[in-house]
Amino acid sequence: MNSLNKRLSAEKRFQAYGLFAVALSMFFVLILMWKIFSTGSGAFVRTTIEANVFFNPDFIQVNQNSLEKELYRASYVALADEVVRQNHPKLNEEQFIKVREMYTRKFDYQLRDYLLDNPDKIGQSIIMKITASSDLDQIVKGNYPRDVPEAQRKINDYQLSVLDKLTSEGKVSSVFNFWFFTKGDSRDPETAGIWGAVMGSLYALIICFSFAFPIGLLASVYLEEFVKPGKVTDIIEVNINNLAAVPSIVFGLLGLGMLIGVIGLPYQVPLVGGLVLGFMTLPTIIIASRASLRSVPPSIREGALAVGATKMQTVFHHVIPLSLPGTLTGTIIGMAQALGETAPLLMIGMVAFVMEIPGGPLDPATGLPSQIYLWSESAERGFLEKTSAGIMLLLLFLIIMNTAAVLIRRRLEVKW
Amino acid sequence: MVEQVNSFAIKTKNVSVHYGNKMAIDDVTINFTKNDVTSLIGPSGCGKSTFLRCLNRMNDVIDSCKVQGEFLLNGVTDIYGDSIQVETLREKIGMVFQKPNPFPKSIFENVAYGPKIHGLASTQSELNDIVMESLNRAGLYDEVKDRMDDIATGLSGGQQQRLCIARAIAIRPEIILMDEPCSALDPIATARIEELINELRENYTIIIVTHSMSQASRISQRTAFFHLGKLIEHGDTSKIFTKPDKEQTNDYITGRFG
Ligand SMILES: Nc1ncnc2c1ncn2[C@@H]1O[C@H](COP(=O)(O)OP(=O)(O)O)[C@@H](O)[C@H]1O
Ligand SMILES: [Mg+2]
Repeated sequence: MNSLNKRLSAEKRFQAYGLFAVALSMFFVLILMWKIFSTGSGAFVRTTIEANVFFNPDFIQVNQNSLEKELYRASYVALADEVVRQNHPKLNEEQFIKVREMYTRKFDYQLRDYLLDNPDKIGQSIIMKITASSDLDQIVKGNYPRDVPEAQRKINDYQLSVLDKLTSEGKVSSVFNFWFFTKGDSRDPETAGIWGAVMGSLYALIICFSFAFPIGLLASVYLEEFVKPGKVTDIIEVNINNLAAVPSIVFGLLGLGMLIGVIGLPYQVPLVGGLVLGFMTLPTIIIASRASLRSVPPSIREGALAVGATKMQTVFHHVIPLSLPGTLTGTIIGMAQALGETAPLLMIGMVAFVMEIPGGPLDPATGLPSQIYLWSESAERGFLEKTSAGIMLLLLFLIIMNTAAVLIRRRLEVKW
Repeated sequence: MVEQVNSFAIKTKNVSVHYGNKMAIDDVTINFTKNDVTSLIGPSGCGKSTFLRCLNRMNDVIDSCKVQGEFLLNGVTDIYGDSIQVETLREKIGMVFQKPNPFPKSIFENVAYGPKIHGLASTQSELNDIVMESLNRAGLYDEVKDRMDDIATGLSGGQQQRLCIARAIAIRPEIILMDEPCSALDPIATARIEELINELRENYTIIIVTHSMSQASRISQRTAFFHLGKLIEHGDTSKIFTKPDKEQTNDYITGRFG
């Protein structure tokens, strides 16, 4: 009886340790999440300043009859300056420069895009919400303190006074920052978006899948179903397991040396990134696929062989379809891992500043993790929140992929 | 009983089987008469399954398994010879396993698979007919006719085994091998399969491994008794179970060992 009590209390103690371990890890996850969310949520809104915009044909040198091409090419820089002057009358040149700095440098693009969508507005006045510069944005969001000496501020006293005046007139407002999801990278945080990196990663993952999945599947089917186990397969097995443990930067070096150096594929492109991620994912896919081939009961193979199916037919009609859920699950988990890999992208140059959204796997691009890395290197506070927002997006994709893996397994798995 | 050459479905001579260095079948010579049910009986591990699997070369997939001896199908075709492909052989000699092993596909697909890969049906309606007829012969059609597209693994054990029999006869074999087909089934399902075997005997030669002596006496015309890899005695079931020649056989059927 006494010893039973001892064993019961030992069990209680063990459960308490377990609970503590779970709680501790949850605590760290929550801290991480809280930190990322509280920093990153700012990236989803941007500060705007309401202004009266007169599309003066003289400044942009177009008229109602101009073609879209002409509208696109026209110069909006002078118009942008003029808008600032009109909304802040009686500025001397020094003051004008300061006030102009409160608006985004890319304000001329905003004017152009608006006019391209509404060409009938030439010669007319509208009220427009002009995006504020990142420094102003950070002041409004409260990320930059106001109560420090002017020299330590990015926004000087004069600009603050103008801001306060605009605020009291109700002209300062926050809008949802669509740009973050639609634009490529930019030198200015207020116009920098993640979409270029998302597309870069997407192309890389498509290449990764199209390369690694068929090869992984064929290799595992051959090893598991056709080749007689022996010394050679043992050596291959050990090597595949080793390969799965090789640090990803080594695969990056391989890509740099072989794909770019020897074969001569271009630097910086998702094609190379995807192939490198594919090399990295291949062992994971082979291991997962072999395990799931092995889990197909031998009785199914016997059943097919006994009705006169060939080995090939048995494998392709029965064994592979039954093993596919496991293989796909392994593939998706491997690709989720690949999505988060930064080192190989660094090695093959997918960390450059790319404004354009890549249109295909051969266009220069960054990937999600390398974009996050790029932004995190930047000193500006505006990029800090982009960094965290990028991480949030990356985590979201990882969650989606891992959930898909679980769902595929649940859905397609055969109950025996 | 006078037996003509052409009345044998399978003739075997001096068959020995090794798994690596271990002998599983030791110099067995036995002929299987056409349109009879032959039971292979004997204590567990005596090599009944091993011998049965030699007849349609299912042992080919086991690397360590070495088969020696002579096997003739219908008295002429060498089962292990070059003149016949193993797939064609298995089209002629079907097999039903100890544990029901339907494919995890629809009931229809299970039966249709064999005819499809052997090109036995040129149209969909021909295929439908083959499936229907096979299920009918296996005594399963009435139970599943309304759910042909349901997954086969959802059937009961007895139904699954009858589906496996339907799958085997769908490719129109001459011979059906059965390895303890009832050992995983309840008595009612077992009775149903035994009934079925009796009906199938008209059209097929059946060789069945069973561990149940009463089953052997109920369903088979011929019985072969194996012990430690050797064929001890082979003859009409009635004779084996009433006055066997060998004392060992007598001991086994009276339950003195095994
Ligand atoms: N795949 C195999 N590998 C090695 N030995 C086997 C294998 N299958 C069966 N054996 C051995 O061969 C002998 C006969 O087995 P088996 O034919 O299954 O007997 P039974 O069906 O009469 O019970 C047994 O000793 C068994 O251990
Ligand atoms: Mg057996």
